[in-house]
Amino acid sequence: MHRRHFLQLSLAAAASAGLAGCSRNEPLRTGVHPWIGYETLYLAEEFGWLPPTVRLSKGQTSRDSMHGILAGELDAAALTLDEVLRIQAGDVPVKVVAVADVSVGADMVMVRPEIDRLEALAGQSIGVDLAGVSGIMLFAVLERAGLRSDQVSIVNIPVNQHLEAWNEGAIDVSVCYQPTASRLGNAGAVRLFDSSQMPDTIFDVLVVTEKAERKQPSAVEDLVRGHFLGLRHLVRNMHDAVYRIATRQQITPETVREAMATVMLPELTANRRYLSPGGRVEIVAHRLGNILVREGLIEQSPDIANLCTRDYLPGSLS
Amino acid sequence: MSRGSLKLFLVLVMAVLAWAVPVAQANEPPGSVTLAVLSYRPEPVMQQRYAPLAHYLSERSGIQVKLAVLDQEAMTQAVATNQADFFLTNPSHFLVIRSERSLTGVLATLLRDWNGQGTGSIGGVIFTRASRDDISTLEDVEGASIATPGIHFMGGYQAPALELRSVDVDVRRNRNVIYLGNHDRVIRAVLAGDTDVGFVRTGILEERIEENPELADGLKIINKQNLRGYPFQVSTRLYPEWPLVSLPHVDSRVIRRIASALFALEPDHPAAKAAGLAGFSPPADYQSVEDLARTLRLAPYDQAPRVTWVDILHQYRGWVITVAVLFVSLVFTSLWLGRKRRQLAFEERRQRELIAGWPQPMLMMRGNELVDCNRASVDLLRYTSEASLLGKGLMAFSQDSQPDGQTSSQKLDSLLRRVQLGDTASTEWVFVRSDGSDVWVEMTLAPVYEHGFETPSVLCSWYDITLRKEAEERMRLAVQVFDNAREAIFITDAHGVVIDTNDAYRQITGRDGKEVIGNLPPMPVDEGSAILVAARKHGVWSGEFRSRSRDGSRLVLNLTLSSVFDDKQHLSHFVGVFSDITRLKESEKKLRTMAHYDALTGLPNRVLFAERLHQSMAQARRQKYQLGVIYIDLDEFKPVNDAFGHDAGDELLIEMGRRMRAVLREEDTLARLGGDEFAAIAVNVDGGMALEALLDRLLETVVEPAWVADHSVEVSVSVGYTLYPQPEELDADQLLRQADQAMYQAKRQGRNRYCRFSESMS
Repeated sequence: MHRRHFLQLSLAAAASAGLAGCSRNEPLRTGVHPWIGYETLYLAEEFGWLPPTVRLSKGQTSRDSMHGILAGELDAAALTLDEVLRIQAGDVPVKVVAVADVSVGADMVMVRPEIDRLEALAGQSIGVDLAGVSGIMLFAVLERAGLRSDQVSIVNIPVNQHLEAWNEGAIDVSVCYQPTASRLGNAGAVRLFDSSQMPDTIFDVLVVTEKAERKQPSAVEDLVRGHFLGLRHLVRNMHDAVYRIATRQQITPETVREAMATVMLPELTANRRYLSPGGRVEIVAHRLGNILVREGLIEQSPDIANLCTRDYLPGSLS
Repeated sequence: MSRGSLKLFLVLVMAVLAWAVPVAQANEPPGSVTLAVLSYRPEPVMQQRYAPLAHYLSERSGIQVKLAVLDQEAMTQAVATNQADFFLTNPSHFLVIRSERSLTGVLATLLRDWNGQGTGSIGGVIFTRASRDDISTLEDVEGASIATPGIHFMGGYQAPALELRSVDVDVRRNRNVIYLGNHDRVIRAVLAGDTDVGFVRTGILEERIEENPELADGLKIINKQNLRGYPFQVSTRLYPEWPLVSLPHVDSRVIRRIASALFALEPDHPAAKAAGLAGFSPPADYQSVEDLARTLRLAPYDQAPRVTWVDILHQYRGWVITVAVLFVSLVFTSLWLGRKRRQLAFEERRQRELIAGWPQPMLMMRGNELVDCNRASVDLLRYTSEASLLGKGLMAFSQDSQPDGQTSSQKLDSLLRRVQLGDTASTEWVFVRSDGSDVWVEMTLAPVYEHGFETPSVLCSWYDITLRKEAEERMRLAVQVFDNAREAIFITDAHGVVIDTNDAYRQITGRDGKEVIGNLPPMPVDEGSAILVAARKHGVWSGEFRSRSRDGSRLVLNLTLSSVFDDKQHLSHFVGVFSDITRLKESEKKLRTMAHYDALTGLPNRVLFAERLHQSMAQARRQKYQLGVIYIDLDEFKPVNDAFGHDAGDELLIEMGRRMRAVLREEDTLARLGGDEFAAIAVNVDGGMALEALLDRLLETVVEPAWVADHSVEVSVSVGYTLYPQPEELDADQLLRQADQAMYQAKRQGRNRYCRFSESMS
């Protein structure tokens, strides 16, 4: 170990001991909601791998986390990348500190059986929750189909309302995810497209506000570390994890396994790659930003340059 | 061919076939394989449960599968000796076996079934009798007696041990753990009250309760987990189920067939039902089991720690060596530094002691303050202790200005500045002692470069030059005296040759120093260099003598010549001091003259006459001749004085004196006794007759007229005389009195005559 490094570390340790005193008052309030990729944090909490410096604020949907961040009630959250950009455009600067998972098929486009190719989407009425990741999905699909958003009819409704709309005939296309997708499948829909056809695009990430990062950097480290410890249990002790997730989400272990099949869970090295300057997350964020601006979902392009940071990724998990 | 040889032949053929057949059958699967199953429950139970499975596998794969139910030791042994081809055991035991011999790996993982719910996960159950109220949480298990199937049981030991460890209950250190070999015995032990707590794997209790429903009430589960979708009660985390493992020696075709048979097993198949299985799934990841064993430091990871150290050392060899080298060099450097510092301290102490003990005053200054001084310096300034000096500057012991005119502070500053630049400065300085007296010193300031100080300290040494200064002062005065004295001073070498003269010398003698140096000084004519000898002998010679100045005029000098000796008492110089006493001498002579001669006539006076008379009498006695003492008185002098004045009278006296003097011989004395009385001594007369002839001439010369004050006067004298020696001894006074009386006789007889003394006159 370099002596200087050692010195730095010991100084940092001493300093952080002092700093820890500063931030001991307030834990890092982290917003989470049920999603297979964020189970790592729930598991970390269950097994005591989250120190008192991090407190999970369990919501129902991602909207709870988003509102919490924008209102300043949350210091960190687990959100999709487009949600992060919306927050950034909402004048709350945040930083992406870890990639929790990458969607591979979790998000899908369910269509009436007659619609057999992407181009056939033109003129269709598409049910989509523009406030969520499905919006991104849609625009990516349209882009791929060579269609503009004004060439289709967008019905902006939350995902849990899609089934009803389908049955009523209000929509012929639904951009959704489980369990809505399987329900629609039962109602006769077929899958035209899913996120597995656009890999490395839909990122679920952990973000912290810049303010929290400044005040409690060690707590951010604890959060990220806890996530990776939870991830390790999820992957290596899957035989245990599935049952715990099933219990928490009140679903069967099989459903848990199926859900796990729809996401990639990147480990530390993959994270480093994703979050590197000019890495995948930055590129995708840039594109997403453009899409969001173009579709009028946000007013101006958010600052991408300082969006990602690898500083809080642990060196190793001991 | 005989029967015996045929038999032999057949045996041989059999033997060959027996050997050859296995080889031939390399292309075809062998007849049978052995599946070893761990007897986690009693053997009959195991046989009952798993025989159908073996049968199924045999049918399905076309290879006969023989079932062998073995305990852990037997299974390990069988595996080691290749007597088993496949084995099915708990994951922990599997790890141990795997560490002992390399295996092809796991073929499949068991899926247990319970009432239609399948699971591929296994966990541990910690239970006690329901009546035990004292044991309800994990922490309560601390110190309790525990029954367990064995260390290498997943659910029956390792999983519970880890859970307990997370609440700091270390089962390994618990001495009340009994190892019973299978789960049934554990349940029995707990029920019987032999132990407080039992560890079994998941599913056992459910099977037993199914057989014996009352069991449910009699037992209590500790730390029960709530896991939705998991069919069994469990106290711990879950791990992958039992692996079914094939050994390396098994033919790959056999493996494939068995594997496919395994995966083809449906949950509703009787074989599955009998064994309580839902089937087999592809092999799970047993990393979690490895981590478990590692965390608990159980085999095969019980030896790990000891390896770790050496391992680390080996891995970081380079760093370790570098750090060790750096550390060693650090130690050496510290030692060397320490030694250098000690050396330095020693040197400094030596320096200090040297200064302290030095007999000459020595001080050390830093900045403007004295920081060190020795005894001698304290004594010089007449203080009692060093404390009086230290901390002060030199100015504290100096006057405001120095004798050379500079102000002390300015002079000191300029000196110190020079020293700071590296010069050594030397100067004279006056210090003030504690009693106020002055002391002259020669002060030398030198820079001393000391460790740890940027600017050099100043070493200051004093040399007491008071005596020298006083000597210089005296010298200066002496030079002043030499130069400015009215007396002439000359200095000669040991031989009397002049080496230096002063101004007065030149003034008196008219000779310059340059002319004189290298020559002898003025000395008396008759004695000459003898005076040097006398001066050497007696230390000093003094005397008066005549000399001549450069321009020839006569001088009288009175010289004092002193000899000067060096330290060794050798004569080194003469010093002569003389003054010009010429005038003095003349005055003396005049005075002497005045004392002895009559001012008017120039004749000897009464005093001289008396002297002469004495001398003549002495001479007459010695040389035996006669002398006549004559008393002469002028007749009728007073009328001349009255008639013509005193000046005329004086003229007359002078004339008469001259006439009479002319009559007398040279060796005779004529004196004026005073007024108009004269006396004379006639030496060496040949009787009264001869003398009277002289006196006749005297009378004749007086009677001649004299011209005084434009008048011619005539006077005469009355003379009385006596002769000496006489028969009776007389002194001068008596003689003169005789002559006097004879003179009166002459006067009474009518003046202008002479008369000899006779006794009748007295």
